[in-house]
Amino acid sequence: MPATSAPRVNSLALLILPSALLFALFFFLPIGLMAVMSVLTGNPVVMPNVGFTTKHYARMGNDSYYLEVIWTTIRIGLWTTLAALVIGYPLAHWMARIRSRTGHALLLMAVLAPMLTGIVVRTFAWMTLLSDKGVINQILTSFGLITKPLQLMYNETGIIIGLVHIYVPFMVLTLTGVIGRIDERLEQAAENLGASPWRAFMEVTLPLSLPGILAGSLLVFALAISAYVTPILLGGFQIMTLPILIYQQISANFNVGFAAALGMVLLAISLILVIAYNHMLGLVSGQRGLQ
Amino acid sequence: MSANIEIAGVSKIYDGGVRAVDAIAMDIRPGEFFSLLGPSGCGKTTTLRMIAGFDSPSAGEIRLDGADITHVPAHKRDMAMVFQNYALFPHRTVAENVAFGLRMRKIDKATIATKVKAALAMVELSGMEDRKPAQLSGGQQQRVALARAIVISPRVLLCDEPLGALDKKLRQQMQFELKQLQKALGLTLVFVTHDQEEALAMSDRIAVMNAGRVEQIGTPVEIYDQPRTCFVADFIGDTNIFRGQRVTMDHGIGIAAGNGLLLALPDNIAAAGSEVLSVALRPEKIAVAPADPVEARSKGMSTRGTVESTNFLGGAVLYRLVLDSGHRVLVQQPNSGAPLHPPGQAVALGWRPADLVILED
Repeated sequence: MPATSAPRVNSLALLILPSALLFALFFFLPIGLMAVMSVLTGNPVVMPNVGFTTKHYARMGNDSYYLEVIWTTIRIGLWTTLAALVIGYPLAHWMARIRSRTGHALLLMAVLAPMLTGIVVRTFAWMTLLSDKGVINQILTSFGLITKPLQLMYNETGIIIGLVHIYVPFMVLTLTGVIGRIDERLEQAAENLGASPWRAFMEVTLPLSLPGILAGSLLVFALAISAYVTPILLGGFQIMTLPILIYQQISANFNVGFAAALGMVLLAISLILVIAYNHMLGLVSGQRGLQ
Repeated sequence: MSANIEIAGVSKIYDGGVRAVDAIAMDIRPGEFFSLLGPSGCGKTTTLRMIAGFDSPSAGEIRLDGADITHVPAHKRDMAMVFQNYALFPHRTVAENVAFGLRMRKIDKATIATKVKAALAMVELSGMEDRKPAQLSGGQQQRVALARAIVISPRVLLCDEPLGALDKKLRQQMQFELKQLQKALGLTLVFVTHDQEEALAMSDRIAVMNAGRVEQIGTPVEIYDQPRTCFVADFIGDTNIFRGQRVTMDHGIGIAAGNGLLLALPDNIAAAGSEVLSVALRPEKIAVAPADPVEARSKGMSTRGTVESTNFLGGAVLYRLVLDSGHRVLVQQPNSGAPLHPPGQAVALGWRPADLVILED
C-alpha cells in the first residue's frame, strides 16, 4: 500500500454497509449488553443504583453444580462432534467423488431432506423411536434380545443421538467442499507409488482435508453446545446444559445478570475454539501462505 | 530391470457406449522410449491410465513381462507415473515427496535417505529437500515429479504430457534430460503427448492414435517418411495430399488428381488394388525454380504454378503455391541464400516419384 495516497473508498465497499449495520445492531450490541449485564448487580433499566460486581462469575466458580453443567455441555458437544465426523466423513467423501450427477443429486437430497423438517418435529420423532415403549425397544424385546427396555432417552445418549441427526448435514456439506477440491490425481499418484487405497487415503486425502474437518467440527460443536430444544425434549430435564440453565435463570429466577454470565461462558468456549482453529489451520497449511 | 508391455485387443467403453479406446494392440519393448501421439480425445491418456491401472479395460489384456496384469490394482503394478500437473503432495516437502514410494515399499530409513539424496542430485535439485512444492518453479516441480518416479526403480515409467506446462526453452532442455535419463537407466518409458515434434525428437517408436484406434506404429523416421494413412500424414508435420483416379501412364502408373494434374507413382508400386488413391508429398521434397521453360524442363520440373505467399522462417522458406491445375501446395525450401520467389511469381515445380507415399484411407 502506498503511504502517500489518501485512502480511497471503493464505491462497491458501500454494499457491505447494510450487513455491517445489521451486525452492529443485532449482533455486537446485544453481546456487548450481555457482557455488561454479566458484571452488574442488577438491571439498570428498572433499578436505580446498580454497581459493578463479579459475583455471578464467582458463583459459577464456587458451586461445583455449575461447573458440572458446563462440563456436561462440553461433553455432549464433543461426543456430538465426534459422532457427526465419523458418520459425515465417509458420506462427504462419497459425495465429493461420485461421478454420476444423479447419484450426487440423490445424496445431496438425502443429506438436506432432514433439514426441511423442524427441529421440534424431528426430536419428537426420535422420542417415539427411543422411549422405553418406543420402536427400538419394542423390536429388541420382541426378538428376545433384551428383557427390560434400554435407557435410550432422558440421558446424554438420547441427546447426542438427536443432536447428531440434526447437525450431520453441516458436517457433510463443509467436508464435501473441502474434499471435492482435493485433486483426485494426488490419490492416484500415491497408489501409483505403491500405496494401497486405504494408505493413500491416510497419507494424502485425510491430511489435506484437515481444514474441512476442523471447520466442520467447529461448526457442529458450537451448534451442539448452544442447542436448547433437543436437550430439553430428549433429556427430559434430567440432563442440565448451559442453554437450559440460562433459560431457567431468565424465565424462572429472573436472574438476568447470572444468565448473562452463563451466556458469556458459552460464548467464551466458542471463541477459544475459533482461535484454536485458526492457530491449527496456520500450522496445517502455513507453508501454503509462503508461495 | 526394465520390462516389456503387451497390449492385446484392449478396448475402453464408457457408460453411454463411447469407445475411448477401440481394440488397440501394441508391444512395448524393454528399455524403449515409446510415445502415444495423437490429438486430444484420441484415447492416448486412457491407454496410459489403463497401463497404470487407474482405469480397467472393457475388453482385452495388458501383460507385463508376459504376466497378465489387466486386473492387478494400481499399487501392485510397480510402475511409476509422472502426471501432467505433476500431482506432487502439497503438504509434503520435496524430500518427503520423493521418499513416498520408498516408504510404501517399507525400505529402512537410512537407505531411503541415501536414495532420495541421489535421486534429487540426479535431477539437480540438491538443497531443495525441505521446500514445499508450492515454493518451486514449474520446471523444478517437474523434476521433483520425475525424481519421485525414478527413485523407486519402476519396471515402467509412464509420462502423461509431463512437459506440457513448461515454456519452450525449458521444455527442450527437459526433453533432452528426460531422454538422457531414460537411456542411462535403461527404463521402459511410455510417453503420452499431442506434440508431434516432441514425439519425433524423443521416441524410439511412436504409436499414432486417432479416435481410439492406433493408426500406425513405427520409428519417427518411418512415421514421417512412410505415413500409412491420411491421418498420420496430415497429423505429423505439414504435408500435401493428392487424391485421384489411378491411370496408366507411359512409364508405369500414376494418379489423375483432376484438372489435368498427373502424378507419376514410383515404379516399385505394384498396381495397387483401389481405383482411387491418395498420395502424400512432404513440402521439403518439392523443388521450386522460376518458370524458365528451358531450365525447368531440363530438371524434369514439368508442373507449373504461381507463388501465393512467401514465409521466411530463418533456416527455411515456406511457400504457398497454386498450381495451374488449381491445387494448392505447400513447399519448403532450405535457406540456401538464393533470392526468394516473391508472391505472384510464376514457378516450375518438381519432385521425385519415389517421394510420393501412397496412403490408406
